[in-house]
Parts: sequence; structure tokens; C-alpha cells
Amino acid sequence: MSNLGAIFNIAKSALSTQRYGLDVTAQNIANVNTPSYSRQTPVLEAVQPVSSGNLIIGQGVNTAQVIRSSDQFIETQLMQQRSKMSFSEEMENYIQVLEGIFNENLDTSISSMLSDFWNLWQDISNSPSGISERTALYEHSILLSEQFSALDGYLANLETDLTNSLNSGIGEVNRISNEIAQLNGQILELEAGGNTVNDLRDKRGEMLSELSEYLDVNTFDQPNGTLTVLTARGCILVQGDSSYGLEMGGDNGDRVKWQASGGTTVDITNYLNNGKLGGWLTMRDAIIAKYKLDLSSLAEEFVWAVNSQHSQGVGLELFQPSSNVTGTYKTSNTLGDLNYGVAADAYVDYSGTFKLWIGDGQGENLQDITIDLDSVLGNIEASSSLTDLRDTINAQINDQRPLLNGTVAASLSASGDAIIFTADANHTFGFSDDTSSILAAVGVNTFFKGASAGAIDIMDTIGSDKTFIAAARIAADGSYASGDNSNALAIADLQYTSLDIPQWTCDRITGNTEGNLNATIENYYHALVGSIGTTASGISSGRLINEEMVMKLSDIRDSISAVSLDEEMTNLIKFQSAYEAASKLISVADEMLETLLNIK
Amino acid sequence: MRVANKTIYDMVKFNLGKITEELNHANRVVSTGKRISDLSDDPVGLTQALNIKSALSNFEQLGRNISTGNSWLTASESAMSNVQDLISDAKTLCIQMATATIGASERISASETVQNMLEEVVSLANTELNGLYIFSGSKTDSAPFSQDGTYNGDNNPFTIKIGRDSSVQVGSDGGAVFGTIFNTLSDLKDALVANDVDGIQTAMGNLDTHFDHVSNKISDVGSKMLRMEIKENIFQDLKINNTERLSEIENADITEAIIDLQAKELVYQAALASSAKVMELSLVDYIK
Repeated sequence: MSNLGAIFNIAKSALSTQRYGLDVTAQNIANVNTPSYSRQTPVLEAVQPVSSGNLIIGQGVNTAQVIRSSDQFIETQLMQQRSKMSFSEEMENYIQVLEGIFNENLDTSISSMLSDFWNLWQDISNSPSGISERTALYEHSILLSEQFSALDGYLANLETDLTNSLNSGIGEVNRISNEIAQLNGQILELEAGGNTVNDLRDKRGEMLSELSEYLDVNTFDQPNGTLTVLTARGCILVQGDSSYGLEMGGDNGDRVKWQASGGTTVDITNYLNNGKLGGWLTMRDAIIAKYKLDLSSLAEEFVWAVNSQHSQGVGLELFQPSSNVTGTYKTSNTLGDLNYGVAADAYVDYSGTFKLWIGDGQGENLQDITIDLDSVLGNIEASSSLTDLRDTINAQINDQRPLLNGTVAASLSASGDAIIFTADANHTFGFSDDTSSILAAVGVNTFFKGASAGAIDIMDTIGSDKTFIAAARIAADGSYASGDNSNALAIADLQYTSLDIPQWTCDRITGNTEGNLNATIENYYHALVGSIGTTASGISSGRLINEEMVMKLSDIRDSISAVSLDEEMTNLIKFQSAYEAASKLISVADEMLETLLNIK
Repeated sequence: MRVANKTIYDMVKFNLGKITEELNHANRVVSTGKRISDLSDDPVGLTQALNIKSALSNFEQLGRNISTGNSWLTASESAMSNVQDLISDAKTLCIQMATATIGASERISASETVQNMLEEVVSLANTELNGLYIFSGSKTDSAPFSQDGTYNGDNNPFTIKIGRDSSVQVGSDGGAVFGTIFNTLSDLKDALVANDVDGIQTAMGNLDTHFDHVSNKISDVGSKMLRMEIKENIFQDLKINNTERLSEIENADITEAIIDLQAKELVYQAALASSAKVMELSLVDYIK
């Protein structure tokens, strides 16, 4: 048989359950703008009824559990897509900086400076004896060298910036990993009783999504409620309540290393492909690395092309009595080790010859000595040393012009790594017809010194005396004239010459591969700039696609997990009405009890 | 699909952000007049534009080379014409002096005229342009002819570049241009002094040969000038064509750009209006 107390009990359970429903609704409303919040729904169930005789009597209502609306598959997808988006956002930020550096709308662009460089050689060819044209070329060449160095410097700075960003990014990764480990510990403790700690799980999801903005993340749910977090190469960041950190290491402190518990480390640099860390590494090791190498290859080929032509010529005067010319490309080992930029000895023909001309103190009555690298007086190979080269030059001078022996001679610098041509007080000298390119390789009678984009500069001899700009050539009869512009024209013609210039592909796994592009100096540079544009536009569209994907997945995630105020308002009224009805139940039961108590 | 409040706000933010970005780009095209302001705007067009700019810079340089060449050729032509006039004057003098009625004293005074002519020819053969001797081969820093007519230059005439694969000799090997003209004049002077009519007549014949030779050289110069003029016209045309192409690649079609901007503005306004509407709707407002 039912009794009045039962009604009170049922009403009591209804009041507390509906009120709890209002609590959950309030929590949902409060978190309408919380990004990672998963809306909660109380699941109500009737309390197991009791049988009394042949009647079943209900025992009221109870909140069985509170469900968290969350789809693990979508959450994982979203996390990975967010990771890709941070990757492309960082790539876009840096490629925009790169675009700015190579901006061609400026007059100081390498492209227009190269055009002007060739034009100035033509100006010299129009007035080979004019000093103002030579000075203009010299000043402009300094600007051009500085621009090459500046570009190289900007790229190096970007690399340093990226390494610094990696450093602070790794700090964040370690902090977040540590927090996730702590949350794992709390969840393990609180869920031991069989409850689900929804808010802590949301919090952990949020930290995980923050972590995935930095790097590749893979997760496994453990039966005990903890989450195992892995990154590239399967390295564990979080397991249970412990975390494993990352650090910067390697010879230059630019590698990302995972620290295992035993103190050993694993280099994961090349395997991080997502998140900000992946973006920074791809930018540094694949994109900037390529353009830095391309720019340097261009500078090297440019310097070599100009130098090897310039070294064939003669200025307005010969190298003066008592003066010396010191080679700017040095080696303490073999000639094959000379660092003249372009891919070493393939550019020198060791079967070639060059002419050394020795004139009197006034630079007249020139006599030639043909220096043969493949001579019985000393056979020069890539494996020969500067000493061998010096000895064969001096031997051939003595052999061909015994009377001039010692008037102009080759020697080595104090440290033995550079060749020097020195004239005595009564003789002058010059060069011509170098079929071996050995003069350009040792840096004698060249226009530029330095061989990389960062180190290119003008020869000191030319800097101090512009008459040494070699616009002319010494003719076969030993004459040279101030109106001869043949070498200047040959240098100006280099602008039309297609060269095989190395073009690089930088892959983070397979490393840097050298290909080549057959193009003129300027067209190669234009292709380089165009390639930066193409890369930038690819990265931008990638970013846009990732953004749209994140948006789509967020929509799906939110349609499952986020709060709708309309729904919550409806729930509010639903629970409120039920609460009012349960109150009514108590007041009715109370009246009934009163009726009963009032029976006289 | 269930739509949460967050979805509405996120969508508004995302869409307005995207439209603002497009609006900004359209505005930049209109306000700069350029299609390409970043390398990524049109990498292929940019590479073409850079190649065209290099070519234009080269055409301008070649144009400057041609004008340098023209000044050399003009100076040569004028010097040679003056020499030709002098040869012609000398011949007239020869005709006068060869007649029997002329006496020895008149011939001696005519010899002084010939001496002046000789000096004048040497001076013309030593013509300088901006301090450079144009008849000196490549030895442009020293006078090609000494007073006795000895040639000190070389046979490597000054050359300028007028195209990628073409060059023109605008200076001259003075020895080849003037040949033995100095000897002829000198001989004529001696014949006049010696009152030698036969000598005068020999000189007269040689002067004819020199006259023809210099004429040929002048017409050589003329044809070079013509060739340079043709080249110059070609470069002018190329410059115009390339400038047009460059402008097509680099510059925005303003009408199109403005229409594009207006379309983007319209989209932006519509998005703003609908966003404002959607955001203010909520059941909250209807529950008392």
C-alpha cells in the first residue's frame, strides 16, 4: 500500500533532480563562449520501483549520470587540422618577410643593380680612357656587393630568428606536457571511484589542442582514464602522470632533441611536420636554406664569370715597378682546395697557358713569357701546391727570357697560402690570354674578391686605383692602348651568356641536392624571385585551405559539443516547470496530510 | 545540423575576416594602380616583368652607345669633308699654278698656301672628341699624326656595341683613311718652290686619287650612320612594345579594379547587415 510519506519522498527526489538539471543548464549557459567546453546533459531515470503486494510503487527520479557531448574522432581530426593550420600560419608569416626582402619594386633590387652593372661596363667601353666611368662602375659594384651581402645577411638572420622561436616553442611544449601529466594524475585520482570528471577532461582536451598547435601529436586513451601523448618518431611526451621534455641541441644548438628518461636524446628535428615547430623547421631547413644556397651559387657564378674575363685584360697601365699583386683566393693545401667559389677545379684547365708580360719601367717594350701549366719545367695539376705553381712560373720566366729572370717573379705570402707577383724597381708587368683560368682561380688580376654572397667585394688594387679596371687587352705584339675596349665589351657580353648555375632542392629528410639551371645571371635571379613568389602563393593557399578545414571541423565539433542558448533556455523552462510541479506535489501532499490530521 | 551559438559567432568572424582581406587587396590594387605588389600576387607575371625590365635597361644602354657612336661618326664625317674640301682647293690651286703664264714668285707664294693646307689637314686628321683622337685606332690618348704626316696610331679602330651581337667601328685607322695625302701635299709644295710644272701636274693627279679615296671613306661613314639610325629605330620600337607589355603585366586595369572593389564593398555591406541580424536573434529575448 502506498502512503503519504512516499509522495513526499518522490516529490523530494523530483525537486533535487530538477534543481540539479537547472544547475547543469546554468553551467552550460555559463560556458556558452568557452572554446573547448562540451555541453553536459543530465540523464534522468526513474528510481527502481518497489513492489508492495501486487502493486508496483514508483520511487521518484534520479540523475543517473551527466553526459558530456563529445565525439573523440572529430576532436582528434580537429586537433590535427589545427596543428596543420599553425604550421601554415607560421610558414606564411615568414614567407611574407622573405617576399619583403626580395621585393623587386625597389630600385635597390639586385635585378636592376645587375642591369646597371652591365650598362656601366658598356659605358666604359664607350669611353675606355675615362676615369669618371671607371669610378661610377667601382661605386656601383660596391653597392651591388653590399646588396648581395645584405640579402645573405637577412636570410641568415631569419634562420637565427627561427632557431630562437624554436627555443621558446620548446619551452611551451615542455610546460604544456607537464600540465597534461598533472591533469592525468588528477583524473586518475578522481575517477578511481567510477565517476567521470568532465571538466578536467575538457581542460586536458584544451591543453592537448594547445600542444598540437606546436608540434605533431598522437594520443592513446588508457583504460584508467589517463592519456598517453606521443610526438614525431613515436617519442613519448606524456605517459600517466610523467612528462618527457624536448631540448635544443646539436653542434650549433639548432636541433630539436627528445630527452628520454635515461639521459639519452633522440634527434627529431627532421620529423616534425606539423604545428608551429614544424612550420619553423620547414621554413628554416627547406625554404630559407634553398634560397640562401641559390643566392650564393648565383653570386659565385657571377663573380667567377666576371673575374675569369677580367683577368684576361689590362688596365690603363701595367702593374707598376716595385709593386706586387697578391692572389686573393688562398690555399695551404692543393690548388684543388682554392676557395674561389664555384665548384672548385672543374673550372680550371690544367692543360692551359697564360701570358705574363714584362715591360720596362715606363710600361713600354713589353716582352712575353708563355706560362704553360703542363710544362716539363713543372707540371701543374689540381693536386699541386702553390709552391709548385710558383716554381714553374719562375722556371719558365728564366727559360724563355733569361735576361728578365728576377725582374718580375712569383713568390708566396708569409703564411704560404697566397701567390704573389712582384716587380723590381725597373720593370712593370701584366697578363693576357689565360686559357687555363688559373689567374682567376688564385685571384690575380680579377675584379672581385671573395666568393660567396656574404663575402663578395671589389679587389683592393682596383679600389685604390681605378685605372686597373681591365677594359683593354695586351695585343700579341705587346702593345696595349687606352682606347682599346675589347675586354670591357667581353665583360658586358657576359649579360647575354647563359651559364649552368647550380639550383638547389632542400629536403629536410634527404638533405640538399644540387641541380642546375641554364640561364643568364639576371634570368637566374628573376627565376629565383619568381620561385619565392610561387612558394609564397602556395603557402598562402595552403593556409586558406587549412583555415576552411578547421572552420568546417569546428562547425561539426560545435554542433555536437557547443552550447545553444535556445536549447538551454528551453531546458531552463523544462526543469523550472518540473520543479514547480514537484513543489505543487508537496503542497498537495501537505494539504492531504492536513485533511487527515484535521479529522476529529 | 544543430547550430550552437558559438558557430554563429565563429562564422561571422571568419566570413567578415575573409571579406575584409579581399576588400583590402582590391583597395590596394586601386590605390597603387599595380596588379603585383607582393611576389606571390603573380609570380609568373613578375618573372616576365623582371626580364622585360632588364631588356629595357639594355635597350636604353644600347641607345646611349649609339648616340656615343653617332658623335664619333659625325666628327669623322665633318673632319673628312673638310679634308676633301682642302683637297679640292689644292687641286684648283694646281690648275692655276700649272698654267704657263704663272711666274716663279707666284708659285713660291702659292707654296705657302699649300703649307697651310698641309698643316690644316694634319690638324683635321688629329681631330679630338672629348679629348680622344678619333683617327688613332685604339691609341685614342695620343695624336695619330706628327707634323710630317707620320702615323703613330694602330689599325684597331675604336668600336662600340650597338646590339647583342653587333658592333660598329666608329673610330678609324687614320693611316688607312688619309694614306699618302700628306706626302702629296708636301711634294706639291716642293714642286711649287722649285717652279716644277711637271711636279705640279703629278701632284694634281694624285690629289684626284685622294679625293676619290676620302669620298669613299665619307660614304662608308654615311652608311654606318644609316645603320645606326635603323638600329636606333628598332630599339625605339622594342622599347615601346616592351613598355606596353610591362604595363600590361604590372599595371591594373583601373576600370576593372574599381568594379571589383565596388563588388567587394557590396559583399562586405551585405555580410555586415546579415551578421548583425543573426547575432541579435535569441530565444532569451522572447521569454518573459
